[in-house]
Amino acid sequence: MDSIIIIFLSAIIGLFAGMSDKPMRSLVISMIGLVAAAILFLFQGQYVSPLVKYNILNFGKDEVKFALLCIGLTFTILIAGYDKVSKHKSNSADIMSLILFSLCGALILIGFSDLSMFFLGLEILSIPLYVLAGSNKENLNSVEASIKYFFTGSFFTCFLLLGIALIYGATGTFDLSTMQELIIEGSYSKAMLFVGVFLIAASMLFKVGAVPFHFWGPDVYQGSPDNITAFMASVVKIAMLFTFYKFFSTIFSSLFSFWSGLVYIAIVLSLFIGYLAALKQEYYKRLIAYSSITHSAFALFALLNIQNGAASDLFIFTVGYGFSVVALITVSMAGLNEEDKISNLKGIGRKYPIVGALFVFALLSLTGIPPFTGFFGKTLLFYNVFTTYPLLVLFGLISTAIGGYFYVNLIFTSFSDDAQQNTMVLKPTHQLVLLLCGFFILCGWLIMLLPN
Amino acid sequence: MELIYIPLILGLISFLVPSSIVRHFGLLGSLAILGVVIAHVAAFDPATTHYVLNPSKVFPLGLTFKMGYDALGLLMLILTNVTLPLILLSNYNRALSQDRVFHALSFFMLFGLNGIFLSLDGMLFYVFWELTLVPILLILYFYGEKNNNPVLFRFFIFTFAGSLAMLMSFFALGRLAGNFSYEALLAVELSPQIGILVMIGFLLAFAVKIPLFPFHSWQPSTYTSSPMAGTMLLSAIMLKMALFGMIKWMIPLCAEVKELAAWTIMILSVIGIVYGAIIAIRQNDIKVLFAYASLSHLGIITAGIAVFNDEALFGACIQMLNHSLLSVGMFLVADILEQRLKSKNLSDMGGVAKLAPIFGFWFAVITLASVSVPFSAGFIGEFVILYEVFNFDIAMGILSATTLVFGAVFMIRAFQLSMFGFPKIESFKDLTINELAVFLLLGAMILFLGVFPQLLKDFMEPCLNNIVNSIASKP
Repeated sequence: MDSIIIIFLSAIIGLFAGMSDKPMRSLVISMIGLVAAAILFLFQGQYVSPLVKYNILNFGKDEVKFALLCIGLTFTILIAGYDKVSKHKSNSADIMSLILFSLCGALILIGFSDLSMFFLGLEILSIPLYVLAGSNKENLNSVEASIKYFFTGSFFTCFLLLGIALIYGATGTFDLSTMQELIIEGSYSKAMLFVGVFLIAASMLFKVGAVPFHFWGPDVYQGSPDNITAFMASVVKIAMLFTFYKFFSTIFSSLFSFWSGLVYIAIVLSLFIGYLAALKQEYYKRLIAYSSITHSAFALFALLNIQNGAASDLFIFTVGYGFSVVALITVSMAGLNEEDKISNLKGIGRKYPIVGALFVFALLSLTGIPPFTGFFGKTLLFYNVFTTYPLLVLFGLISTAIGGYFYVNLIFTSFSDDAQQNTMVLKPTHQLVLLLCGFFILCGWLIMLLPN
Repeated sequence: MELIYIPLILGLISFLVPSSIVRHFGLLGSLAILGVVIAHVAAFDPATTHYVLNPSKVFPLGLTFKMGYDALGLLMLILTNVTLPLILLSNYNRALSQDRVFHALSFFMLFGLNGIFLSLDGMLFYVFWELTLVPILLILYFYGEKNNNPVLFRFFIFTFAGSLAMLMSFFALGRLAGNFSYEALLAVELSPQIGILVMIGFLLAFAVKIPLFPFHSWQPSTYTSSPMAGTMLLSAIMLKMALFGMIKWMIPLCAEVKELAAWTIMILSVIGIVYGAIIAIRQNDIKVLFAYASLSHLGIITAGIAVFNDEALFGACIQMLNHSLLSVGMFLVADILEQRLKSKNLSDMGGVAKLAPIFGFWFAVITLASVSVPFSAGFIGEFVILYEVFNFDIAMGILSATTLVFGAVFMIRAFQLSMFGFPKIESFKDLTINELAVFLLLGAMILFLGVFPQLLKDFMEPCLNNIVNSIASKP
């Protein structure tokens, strides 16, 4: 709770600092806020919070891990995007602050233990995003992205609200632990609860961008400014995936037989539709959007393994995925213009060997080739559902093989030697972010060896 | 452990070495690693398994991080670490030797390969297995022919899909065993149905890499479009890890279905032997010819593995060494011809022996070694294997023995067309000093193995006995 307040305050101060037209000040204030929040999370429980404690937010061990991951990713995204954001001096503070507000929403979503807080978190997360998606006002695609995201997003929020209302109607409480007990006891109205769970599952699938509710992803990702795409593809997706997991592994765990079928179908469809559509993409961020659909499917394997506590598996996976995506989009920030054609990436690896190497790391991690974090995350998720769903694991591996094709294609493109008018301008901020991401891609899996 | 991290460190340092001396650095570095291997050999008792890393804890994912080697693993380490300096040496006067990235990638590949031969943990084995794929892919892409992307995609997708099938098999075994340590996986008793699936998973991975008959279609195009060193790395080193995988992992872990496994491998190998040889006879492109020759030679080795008794495995081991050395020799010959004649086509060659007698002599040595004349290592290997295949099944024995005839036909045809006849060229530069050194070393090692096979046999016997007994004890 303290951390969320600190991030919120730093965003507001940053907003005021933006009036001086010196974007650097806002950036520094945001950074300080993020670091302070992270430190508070790390020492959580070892001090008595001076602020009021509510029962509606609860940060356990898993929650803290995911919260730190989201804070870390936001940190890198702010640095990576700084170069472009600071060009529009009058807007730069707004964009940075909105990202932080959205992060507050993500943290609330990670820590919620009450349905009202869940809804609040979701809205705090989404509303700044609608604005941010359209923050590049000169670009029509950005406006389109914003409107599309807003309409589809609010549409599914309605479903979610209806779902929450029905669940409240069925059980008579907002509190998750009470609700869990009631559901295990069986004292609830069956039809209402099942329809409610169904609606919530649908809207969560929408938010993580899984098939059949994936259609908004490619347009929104492609149209939004680069740093916002990175934020949506990493922080927002990770927060939603964890929320999805938390929701269904706690209160609805006793209804596993009801919703596991739905999730299974969504996973199988996403595994193939995402990667198959990515095979023929010409636009870079569109490709990332399609590949992230399939990555949502990989992450959803955790839901089928709720009994054994798959949160740590999901964590390793999301570390690999999040930092890889940020690295990929940082390359696009430095190397691609608004046209966003993949063919413009030709030869960046030859021009900047270190960028090339880190780009290869990120792509191989997403492909699932050891020794990168992506491999270990994916393998953990697969391995832990193997006994119950061997066929699903087989599908997952087939899909991985399909993905290998276009990821390797990107590697070849980046090292192609017909470097036609390659206009890559590499700023120190981009290098810093790539190195940070590279570190986590290479070493993030060591976390799984630590004793808790 | 130093076998793992020294290549990694050397690979990182290679990026910093000035490109004028990086070839010396590469050669000395690989020789240093070979020195470490020899130190291990000197301190090794052939009947035991030596652990270099043996934690008792089980980590998430069932990882145990057990690493070590028995005589078989050590033999593979020797093979790999002897071959790499030879490859770098034969590369010495080519443009590639000035390239830092090439040396770094070679060392990263060696890192993965040494890891494979040291792994006593299934997941670790898989990790290192995949690790070797990336450096070789980049080497082929950077230094291969231009516009060879389709070829590389085929290579990558074949091998990657094969590896994923193996990962699936490891999942099944690991779930049944509880962790991935070699002993635990070995102790699993599979039901026949699961056994077949697990066996197929392993077979796909290894058959693609070796390659066995229906999975070989990536091989000729990849070999021809690669630089010489890339082809050598692929054929002399990389496919040995699949043969090792078969002996050490696939057949012992799927011992419940060993009959089926043996027959599958045997039939695919025999098809490969005959098919590869027949196609090789008709080839005019010398690199494609050697690629199919390799398919045929490897068929003999896998046939020996399929028999899976200690004699046949010994034959397979000596033949693996022989094949690695021969691959270096054959592709060096092909590259010398290609570079100096600017053509890969046999019909453009002729009379080279007259212009370059030293080269002609050493090509003759390689040719004779590859048709297994007595006193060459191939003679021992092929005859031991053929004898065991005859005992296994007479029809298979007869079919695989055709390699003696066909092998002689395609090798001697290649030799005759390029070396004899009326010279179609004005001049041909004879061997440079580094090429001569490579041929000398190759010739000496092949002769040594051919004359003193007993040394190797004494070294391998206890370990091969253990492996054979471990599967004999299963139903």
